[in-house]
Amino acid sequence: MQISANYANEFEKIAEAYEKSGGDASNLLDKSISSIIISGDKIIGLNTVKGVEIESGTQEKGVWAKIRILKGNKIEKPIHLCTGFLGKEGEQRVNFDFFIEDDAEVSFISHCSFPWSTKLTHKMVANVHIGKNAVMTYNDEHFHSEAGGVTLISDTHAVVEDGGKYENNFELTKTRVGTLKVRMDVDLKKNAVAKFDSKIRGKEDDEISIVESLGLNGEGAHGIAKSTVVATDRTRARIINEAFGNAPYSKGHIECNEITKGDKVDVSTLPVLKVTNDLSELTHEASIGRVNSEQLDTLMAKGMSEDEATEFIIRGILR
Amino acid sequence: MLELKNISLTIDENKILNNLNMRFDEGKRYVILGNNGTGKSTIANLMMGVKKYHPQEGKILLNGKDITDLGVYERAKLGITIAFQNSVRFEGITTFDYLTLGGKVKASLEDAKKALELAGLNSDYLKRRVDSSLSGGERKRIELASILMLEMKYVILDEPDSGIDMMSLETISNIINILNKRGTTTITITHREEIAQNSDYAYLICAGRVFNEGAPEKMASYYKELCDRCDHPNDLLKIAESR
Ligand SMILES: Nc1ncnc2c1ncn2[C@@H]1O[C@H](COP(=O)(O)OP(=O)(O)OP(=O)(O)O)[C@@H](O)[C@H]1O
Ligand SMILES: [Mg+2]
Repeated sequence: MQISANYANEFEKIAEAYEKSGGDASNLLDKSISSIIISGDKIIGLNTVKGVEIESGTQEKGVWAKIRILKGNKIEKPIHLCTGFLGKEGEQRVNFDFFIEDDAEVSFISHCSFPWSTKLTHKMVANVHIGKNAVMTYNDEHFHSEAGGVTLISDTHAVVEDGGKYENNFELTKTRVGTLKVRMDVDLKKNAVAKFDSKIRGKEDDEISIVESLGLNGEGAHGIAKSTVVATDRTRARIINEAFGNAPYSKGHIECNEITKGDKVDVSTLPVLKVTNDLSELTHEASIGRVNSEQLDTLMAKGMSEDEATEFIIRGILR
Repeated sequence: MLELKNISLTIDENKILNNLNMRFDEGKRYVILGNNGTGKSTIANLMMGVKKYHPQEGKILLNGKDITDLGVYERAKLGITIAFQNSVRFEGITTFDYLTLGGKVKASLEDAKKALELAGLNSDYLKRRVDSSLSGGERKRIELASILMLEMKYVILDEPDSGIDMMSLETISNIINILNKRGTTTITITHREEIAQNSDYAYLICAGRVFNEGAPEKMASYYKELCDRCDHPNDLLKIAESR
């Protein structure tokens, strides 16, 4: 992709942030990879490949993009979304619409990186429409600032048509969270499948609120919503996982594991299961507590200190 | 020398160990025999310093030094380690990471391969995760490999043979002998005569105390005759008390 000369410096900074969050910036310039690069309220780079149509524009304090995967196209390389904010303070609004047409297949690698922001509100609204037998995987990795001043408000609403598949993986484990309010819901039609997996690590006075909701509305729909939260210091976390079994032979499983470290954390989890069709099957698992003591003893017996062992176990859980 | 002196332990008002005395000399292979529920794992946990198993009475001495109040990590630093009866699983951690403790153990890939091989697993396992995708037996073998990666003076193996197939009794004896050659004292809890025979000294535990001790063959046959038919350890306790 060509980055216009106006944005060359900005791109460099964004690429640096992107790499901090674990991305490989060379992918952003690769012509065979579709990508969108957002800095603040501008789109500074955009590339499409065959089968992918992207419309985009600016809006107040941000940008919007409509991404369409044309019918039957299987996009070989993941589409890269790189969202950054170079300033220290401000607000960024991003709206994404995803249309995955029937029988298309695509995956996204999204990195949202705000390493330099001390007071930033990032608002993301995404609408996802996955057509019949289409497949979309969205891997979303966040890298916030260690100052803890990032507020992330994200709202994703997805509809998955008959036989479609949707997978959403959210990860915010490398930096402080700041304040996080994530909501994801999905409307699953006949034999549609959804999988949500969120992994978050809170430190100091981070605040985490997640709602994951599975609407099992079509016969044979399947959904899994899983969240793993590690809460240390004074972290507050509120996790709600919901599953609504509204159709026969639909199956839903929700799972929330919160690992706590320190006696000042404040965490809760609320599973909500509701069935309106008695042929639907819903299950849930939840746990809140310190790192498992048998695991700790096993590692300490090999010569790891309690802190080393705890870190080792947590790193594994968040992997 | 690791010694348990007049140890008594009560958990939730149940007296589990009752004036127990044991001694483990450097460089020897020990086995601990005894029926289910007689207190063998309790002894193992107590020797390792697991919190719940702090004795109310008695002392644990390492070369004469009182280590009764030391926790698991402190004891490991003094050279005591254990393969617990129940090998716990770890989500997200590969066998290689586990064997090297995330880089804390300075060992090469070759060392890890070798340790796995000695425990009866090929190097394909290095990349696999030590989570619920492994069978209980596989997990146990990885634990044995992990013990081989560490240089410890006292190794406690709590039923290394449980959940491991017949053929592998040889694997376990082989590992015990390798440790023994390094000068490590091994303390193996087992129900298997073959393992007992591959040792220098045996303790027979009944109802939370040492019921008999001595030559492994003798203890093993003693165990077979007496304990196999006895499902009331407390009766034996009475016999023991009357002796
Ligand atoms: N943490 C604990 N809390 C309560 N009771 C315990 C605890 N650990 C052991 N016990 C009790 O102590 C007794 C001895 O248990 P232990 O696990 O030491 O037996 P064991 O000889 O290792 O048996 P096995 O051969 O089945 O492994 C049992 O009655 C057991 O229920
Ligand atoms: Mg036991």
